[in-house]
Amino acid sequence: PHAACGLRPAVRAGRRWGVTGRPVGRRVADGAGPCRVAAALAAALGEGAERRRELEQRTARSRALLRCWGSEEDEQSQPEAGSSSGHENRPSPKELEELELLNRALEKALKVRKSILKSPLEAQGATGEKSAGEGPTPKNAEEQQVPVPVEDVPENTKVRAVSKKPASLKKPSPYQLRAPYRTDPDVKKLQRKAPARCVSQGSRTAGKSSSKGVACKQGRSHRTVICASDREVPAPAEPQKIPGLSRSALNEQQSFSVGDSAGGKNSVAAGKRLSDGGRKNCGFLGESSKKEDPTTEGALGRSTSPRTVTLQEKGCQLKLPLPYRKAYSRNSRAWERCRLCQTSADAAAARNRFIERIQTTFCSTMLAFSPAEIEKELKVLQDVPSLLSQYVEAEPADHPTLEREYESLLTLEGLQTTVSQCLHKLQLLRTAMESQMRLRPDCAGDIGSCSPACVPPRGQMCDSAGILAVPLLCYSSFQELRDLFALKLQVSMLHQEIALQKVMMAELLPVLESRLYPEASAAQLYRAIYTQLCEGGKRFPVLVRDELVD
Amino acid sequence: GLVSLCWLNPTGKSECPALVESSFTTCLLLPLENSSSFLSRTSFYNNCWFFPSMYCLSFVLFLIVFFFSDNQIRFVKSALWYHGYGRPELYRLPSDGSAGSRELLLAFSWLLHRLSLLEQLLARNRVKTGDETSVCTCEDDLPNSQTGTTERAPEYGLEDRVDVRYLQWLNGRLRFQWRSLHAQHQEQCKLLHKIHLFTSGSHMDQTLGHFSVTETDLVRQPENYKQLLQLLEFETMQLEAFLEWKQLELVYWQWMVMNQTDFEGIFSQKSTRLFPLPFFFPLQVKTREEELQKEGFSATARKIEESVELKLLNLTHLCAPKKPQLHGSCRLVYRSKHPASKMAVSATEVIRELQMREASLERELKQLQEECRQRLDEIAEGLDGVICISP
Repeated sequence: PHAACGLRPAVRAGRRWGVTGRPVGRRVADGAGPCRVAAALAAALGEGAERRRELEQRTARSRALLRCWGSEEDEQSQPEAGSSSGHENRPSPKELEELELLNRALEKALKVRKSILKSPLEAQGATGEKSAGEGPTPKNAEEQQVPVPVEDVPENTKVRAVSKKPASLKKPSPYQLRAPYRTDPDVKKLQRKAPARCVSQGSRTAGKSSSKGVACKQGRSHRTVICASDREVPAPAEPQKIPGLSRSALNEQQSFSVGDSAGGKNSVAAGKRLSDGGRKNCGFLGESSKKEDPTTEGALGRSTSPRTVTLQEKGCQLKLPLPYRKAYSRNSRAWERCRLCQTSADAAAARNRFIERIQTTFCSTMLAFSPAEIEKELKVLQDVPSLLSQYVEAEPADHPTLEREYESLLTLEGLQTTVSQCLHKLQLLRTAMESQMRLRPDCAGDIGSCSPACVPPRGQMCDSAGILAVPLLCYSSFQELRDLFALKLQVSMLHQEIALQKVMMAELLPVLESRLYPEASAAQLYRAIYTQLCEGGKRFPVLVRDELVD
Repeated sequence: GLVSLCWLNPTGKSECPALVESSFTTCLLLPLENSSSFLSRTSFYNNCWFFPSMYCLSFVLFLIVFFFSDNQIRFVKSALWYHGYGRPELYRLPSDGSAGSRELLLAFSWLLHRLSLLEQLLARNRVKTGDETSVCTCEDDLPNSQTGTTERAPEYGLEDRVDVRYLQWLNGRLRFQWRSLHAQHQEQCKLLHKIHLFTSGSHMDQTLGHFSVTETDLVRQPENYKQLLQLLEFETMQLEAFLEWKQLELVYWQWMVMNQTDFEGIFSQKSTRLFPLPFFFPLQVKTREEELQKEGFSATARKIEESVELKLLNLTHLCAPKKPQLHGSCRLVYRSKHPASKMAVSATEVIRELQMREASLERELKQLQEECRQRLDEIAEGLDGVICISP
């Protein structure tokens, strides 16, 4: 009995604030902070939506080029429902309705579970739930939950099957508690049919919310149902796949909010884990579309009538139109001439004379690093601390041999040298910055507006030939291209995460520290904030009520 | 009317009939020593600045001569300060723009050299005919683009309280958005690569070898790209104007030197520039070295030293980069073989830099999370009757 005791307070809490279907309770008394967090998150979402729109335009253009050119543009690409609905900053009324339905289902499930727990199956149920409890999800816990929801798949292939859920609720529950970790061979077959991504999506959601028992499983089955239907959509030709993808994205998104609010905080975690499963998922999605693509491409080529043409067939024989060719070659010749053109010696001499003389009239303090240079140097040093720590941590504490020890010492010596060089430079930069700030004129806006993005290097370092050269970025394989873009995105995302993390730290921690919240919701609030700040919203800590009487 | 003079036009001819039609030589013949001669200066400008560019500083610099805007003047001053212009007379100029055309001229000339202004303008505004991608992450570093400093109040309501689950929901959606973006990018990569592959060998420019998306679309629908052609031709004219400027450069700088002759206290201050000096510290692992030598390991010691140097190469390269950092946007080109091209940037380099950046950012994030964890642990002790077990 005590195995489940840690879960009961959570369950009780869930019932308390999940009932009305409207997000209620756990309000933070001091709102100024979290409002800023919400604003920051909303802004980030807006930017992301903007990026998606732009990207979608470019993708649409590329897609159009790869199709057959002769036919008219009758392809109605479905509107990006996924991105457009993403503009709301509140859950839609429909989602809230679903939330209410699921909350009711949750209550029923809890009643069912209580009655079942009293039966001899209690022990098994407890173990099942304990092993699938919160914490870093072990792999087998994921697998445990998978057979269960997939069972629902043949029955509910419709995506909008929310209303059916309570009805079918009773049926899966005995099965679950019996032997959740036994994989049914039928179920396995179904798993194989659905591509791995569906399974992994389902399983990842399973991990966190099992403590909520049946209701969450039902919520998860809702999601895997979507996966199954989702799978069918991409089967036809490639151009339609993308609308399918966005539709599934929409469904997933909605199911997140549904599932999220259903069991309360636990399902919220589940929803997050679903999206988190994602990096590999999306990679896989990209790959599966890549895989299916040769067939569709071939189909396109074969099925088109002789007069239409695809890029694949005719690509290497294409010629740019003559006016463009002329303009382009004139243009590139002009660039080349400009690049090779040098300043005459006399002009350079006169220029240097001018510069020398004008610099003699400068304030001496201004002759240290200029703010632009300071920024540039700082950018150079940006990644140094991380690399340094990496090296330092790589050095072991003990050394088996003398040579090892010597090597280690030398390494540390080298690191120390580097550190002192960097520190010295930082000191110089700091004094320069201080003196510059003293002379700083009133700035109309904030100083950031003065430094354009990508401040170019100083004239001397990058000679004008370099500036005027054709900027090319060469990649040698498809994989390289993908890695490049994936990394760029990852870096942007990390930047944003760090910025958001700082805002959240500044705004949410004081709320907890100042104890200005209603005492009853202390635990939930703590848990939510813990997840957000320490686990990136991906994993939840376990809060155990200290009910043992000493 | 005067503004049209400064509206840089490629042909270099005055469009304002009220002013004397001036060629370059007439300009020279005007009494240039009288450097406050406004007309002469403006007509000189007319002949030299052929670039109708919108680059903030240079444009505003000229505008200030005619339109006195407080904000613009302050902007110019702070921008000049940012780039290290140290002449106090400029900063003492009144903000109503009533005086100081000569100071502005000096500042402009200095900036022209210091930033390689014209070359930068040309490079930045280069007509994009290819699949351009940025090779740096500078846009991510801008503070405004990060947190929502624009306090857009969430529609959650005017009440000052926010449910923490709303934040969780927003956060979840944000993470999902990144995932979808990732998928979209990968899709776009695939399409891009296909187009590059299929059109290999078609481009008349051998260094490129294949078409970009824009160019392929141009073949398909030439009528949509008339503007692109115009832009290309306009750019060619600009480049030719730049070449003309290069011929005239000598005259300009000589004129500028002449402009300086009536400085007050020119040679009063001798200034020394602080150049960052390289530092070399001797290795001080004497005792160990001696020990090793005693045991006859001197050859091994040398080998070890070399391997350590190699190990730390990454770090030393980072601290003192030999070549300037990559910036700006470049055209993506697919090259399956590896012709040694000095001008082109290779994706491998960019990937490596990005990986370092990623590792450093992840580290930073983890540190922040760790700090939160510690603070939350302290708070947990204050919560009655609840024990927190972290995942």
